[in-house]
Amino acid sequence: MAIQVSGITKRFNDFTALDSVDLEVKSGELLALLGPSGSGKTTLLRIMAGLESPDGGGLLLNGEEALGLKPRDRQVGFVFQHYALFRHMTVFDNVAFGLKVRPRGERPGSAEIKRRVTELLELVQLSPFAGRYPAQLSGGQRQRVALARALAIEPKVLLLDEPFGALDAKVRKELRRWLRKLHDDIHITSVFVTHDQEEALELADRVVVMNQGRIEQIGTPAEVYDHPASAFVYEFLGQVNRFDCTVEGGIARVGDGALAIPAQGGVQGPAVAYVRPHDLGVTPASAGPARISGIHVVGPDARIDIDLAGLTLEAEMDRERLATLGIVAGDRCAIHIDRARVFAR
Amino acid sequence: MPADASIAAPASIRVQPARAALTEPAWVRVALIAGALLFLALFLLLPLVAVFVEALRRGFGAYWTALIEPDAVAAIQLTLIVAAISVPANLLFGIAASWCVAKFDFRGKNLLITLIDLPFSVSPVISGLIYVLLFGMNGLFGTYLRDMGVQIIFAVPGLVLATIFVTFPFVARELIPLMQEQGSDEEEAALVLGASGWQTFWRVTIPNIKWGLLYGVLLCNARAMGEFGAVSVVSGHIRGETNTMPLHVEILYNEYNFVAAFAVASLLAMLALVTLVVKTALEWRFGDELAASRH
Repeated sequence: MAIQVSGITKRFNDFTALDSVDLEVKSGELLALLGPSGSGKTTLLRIMAGLESPDGGGLLLNGEEALGLKPRDRQVGFVFQHYALFRHMTVFDNVAFGLKVRPRGERPGSAEIKRRVTELLELVQLSPFAGRYPAQLSGGQRQRVALARALAIEPKVLLLDEPFGALDAKVRKELRRWLRKLHDDIHITSVFVTHDQEEALELADRVVVMNQGRIEQIGTPAEVYDHPASAFVYEFLGQVNRFDCTVEGGIARVGDGALAIPAQGGVQGPAVAYVRPHDLGVTPASAGPARISGIHVVGPDARIDIDLAGLTLEAEMDRERLATLGIVAGDRCAIHIDRARVFAR
Repeated sequence: MPADASIAAPASIRVQPARAALTEPAWVRVALIAGALLFLALFLLLPLVAVFVEALRRGFGAYWTALIEPDAVAAIQLTLIVAAISVPANLLFGIAASWCVAKFDFRGKNLLITLIDLPFSVSPVISGLIYVLLFGMNGLFGTYLRDMGVQIIFAVPGLVLATIFVTFPFVARELIPLMQEQGSDEEEAALVLGASGWQTFWRVTIPNIKWGLLYGVLLCNARAMGEFGAVSVVSGHIRGETNTMPLHVEILYNEYNFVAAFAVASLLAMLALVTLVVKTALEWRFGDELAASRH
């Protein structure tokens, strides 16, 4: 089912959470709403579910006007950041809830409910835990119960609010991969909110980058990462070196000409240049203009702090490359920039 | 030699210092426990025992006679009626008040919370007096009520009103922190899953607060039956008509009828004991669910 958001605006007292947002979610896709906290992404998701009502704008679910519908009539599955499992019910009863509260005419028989719940618990690999209470489960297990519960009502859309936010790094990664596989299997239109760019880029078909109640860019993960539409998107999607510079004749000059960066896009005058740490090359040079001020090895990668005429830069490379270069902290070096983005200031 | 040292060191660390850091010397522990027990015995247990000893001083026959005497029976009945009206009323008010405090944001919320606490901070005598000033013969609505032929003060309605006022905070006080801590995530989840407001209330909200609710009701009931001050002001002390058990006890005591006074008092004491036993039994029987509901 497709979702169409047009001109949605939402204010909380003086704070504008959403400022005339337009968005189209295609049928069957997995879409990420990515942004820092306060960017309005969760509010947008809650408006889609009917848990919040906008001050203006329109919402179509599968072509039908949905703002007048109650949450229960929208056929959406919602997964909450802190799971929101019914604490006094077993895992089985949690998943069965959506089926048991249906009006008498539409309610499946108890044998049918049992079959469906068993099937869903198998899907989320929690069959042995059917009789447990939420308090007796780990975070990852609770989140999977929440997912099974949301899927039990056979929703047309699945909405997930920071689904992995409360989990530790390892579980988060596993669950992320598992969710992607699940989506590939059942192809339900899904929207998830996250502030973790890695999560959005890895998991989503398309990423919507939000900032201060507006959408900055919509695109595939490769598009938003490689061709960011604005300085904000560039800065938000990964580590960056940021330089204030002046562009003249296609060359961005930083400081007193300590660094010259090729600038495309016809920007002139004062600008901001961004360079990703892995696009910053380092070569040892005894008379080089820069100095290595520190090297931090993190797993297979190395992060190198570089001091260039008072500027602090960060470069990134794998450990093998570091070993080949043979540089240590305190060495002088030359730097070259493979790729940069320049935005007018 | 290094091997010896590495074995000897942990052995010496293991026993003494760890214990000294976490536990008090034996004499301190014994003194604290003994002090607490002595205090309990002196101020709680001794009076309780005294009530029963005094009540049974002339034997069980006299005790029984005092309880089935018509005025005593009337007092017991009246107490039960007052509790039977005010406890359900405060159950409803308490749920409603804590629901809106915990689940909604609105102007004047703090004022509401303060108002809920008012009966605890005001002397019960004042609470009773308020109703006399409002509904009494010389009160605000006094003439109107007299013309209508409705009697509130010195009658059962006054007793009920005063009791409701005094016992209002028990349920709400118990529920507000509980519901605030639980938030409204689960209710929202239920609504998205297709439950109606009514279904959400009965299947999600009530089960989540049932223990707090039960505590609140138990305490509310104990106070409703035992309330003296506020009820004393509005009652008028008409024997066999507007005397609740606590008032009846006072009258008997003032008439030097100690056996009868303590006999009725022993019923109130038993009510307290039953309340405690039920509370403990519930905790013991449903301990697992109780723990689960606290998450």
